[in-house]
Amino acid sequence: MLCSPYLLLLAVVGLVPAIYALVESLRASGSALDRGHGLFANYRRVTSDYRFDPSFVHIGETLVVWLPAFVVIVVGLALLMHHRPGRLSRSVQFILFLPAALAGIANFVLWLFILDPTTSPIRVLAHSFGETTLDTVAQPAHVPVILAAMLVFLGTGTWIVIVYAGLNEISGDVVEAAIIDGASAWQLARMVKLPLIRPWIGFLLLINLAYGFQLFLEPSVISQVTHGVVPSDWSPNELGYTYAYSLLDTGGAAAISVILLAVTLLIGIVVITRTKLLGENRQ
Amino acid sequence: MKSGAEGHVRRLTPGTVARLVTLVGVAGIFLFLLVAFVLAALRTRGAMSSADPLEGLSWRNLSYDWKQIRGFDGGLFTTWYENSLLVCAGGTALSLLTGVPAGYALAKLQFPLRRTILVITLLMIVVPNTVLVIPLFLEVAAVHQLGRLWAVAVIFGFFPLGTYLAFIHFERALPRELIEAARIDGLSEVAIFGRVALPLARQAIGVIAFLTFLADWTNYFLPLVLLPAPNQETLTVGVQQLITGSQLYDPAGAAGSPVQLYMPQLVFAAVVQTAPLLAIFLAAQRLLVGGATVGAVKQ
Repeated sequence: MLCSPYLLLLAVVGLVPAIYALVESLRASGSALDRGHGLFANYRRVTSDYRFDPSFVHIGETLVVWLPAFVVIVVGLALLMHHRPGRLSRSVQFILFLPAALAGIANFVLWLFILDPTTSPIRVLAHSFGETTLDTVAQPAHVPVILAAMLVFLGTGTWIVIVYAGLNEISGDVVEAAIIDGASAWQLARMVKLPLIRPWIGFLLLINLAYGFQLFLEPSVISQVTHGVVPSDWSPNELGYTYAYSLLDTGGAAAISVILLAVTLLIGIVVITRTKLLGENRQ
Repeated sequence: MKSGAEGHVRRLTPGTVARLVTLVGVAGIFLFLLVAFVLAALRTRGAMSSADPLEGLSWRNLSYDWKQIRGFDGGLFTTWYENSLLVCAGGTALSLLTGVPAGYALAKLQFPLRRTILVITLLMIVVPNTVLVIPLFLEVAAVHQLGRLWAVAVIFGFFPLGTYLAFIHFERALPRELIEAARIDGLSEVAIFGRVALPLARQAIGVIAFLTFLADWTNYFLPLVLLPAPNQETLTVGVQQLITGSQLYDPAGAAGSPVQLYMPQLVFAAVVQTAPLLAIFLAAQRLLVGGATVGAVKQ
């Protein structure tokens, strides 16, 4: 059947590892010294780890800085472009899309270049705060803001394309009726377009909320270039990596993964039940 | 679109000016960061002491950069590049071979568990793939396949977003009558897919291939965990090795190194790493920014 090769991959790459992690997380493991008792020993051990709560607090802080700014920037720019979709809008859209090619490590190098006061073309900003080394610029208190900047730079172009697709689905009749009724461009955007693309904004928020929980590359390399000024277990995924690789604690690593999986699955279920992604209701 | 004022000189209201300033300003910031970054590869280490992104530019610096990067750890950079190409090409091919037929079947055929498969596919899109990296590590380690490139390629081959986009495309853009007609002509379901649906979906498949390749090429966590030996690494992990092995960020550790890695060399490595993607971006500019066209081919 046409579907079976895909189903095989879905099982091997999606379902099996998830179930395997769940099973491993419930089995006794860890060092003999601190092995607990009972089915949830691994969960108790990792959640009582002194690094566990801070790692989620870090993600929370980052989300609080990043998500509101991201939504305002993406939706605002998309509305401005949609107001008059001409050559200017298309050029701006393309420029904002370019950083998507830098996703991951290249984007990180770009921000290293921008943030390090010894190389930055905008070092005057850092200097005005009295910061002259990367270690003071990238100190732990600044990390959520730094990550937010990296993620906004990376994702704005991609998400504008998506929100723009939502704006394009608004019927021309609705817009025309509002104009005939004397709506200004501002009123049109705020009172007609914005409410109509609310599902898309919700989609944007939820997908990026889920994305926030998996952060690994950026904080992990920040930790390396600051020689531990930013701890190497900054995010939950980094902590899971430590459990798997440094502590060789399979059960603990599996437990952290299952917790992250549960959080993101929950968000996924909200996305599917609250938006019309299954396509059947659409024309 | 507004009041049909084509050809007329628009009046400069405060709103028009604010819109213009915002769009041009934001694009300007993005462009400045990108250009200053790329130009840094053309500068010397000494020129970095100036904030001027144009200070010390010379094409000759590129060959110096390249020599440093190639010389790192006995020439691993080209090995990383080969590894990345292999794994990403394999993953993209596999994802198209499995995902496009599946998207077609989900859109046009009736079979048990169809809706369930669709829901799971959507869930797998929302759940970031890095959440499954540690579980995949445990699975791959359990069957003793750590350090195998093919294992990473197979994992890359599962790209639920591609399947979903194929599903949307076939559901919206492929008329049901066409399939009915082919059935009356006696074609098998597989032949209908191969000879009727597939040729009409070329553009959508191009977009899906690009998105898969982009996701695979920039993936860091999975190859980091599944390919532990230095000569097995992919380019993303390799660039991270260059950063942490550089004189700039580890002066003590890199003291004995035969190559000199400072910001210009790191930037050059990052630009070389991302070059295939930038090339595709520029080549397929209209396709991509025309944007989310996968589902909207109908009109």
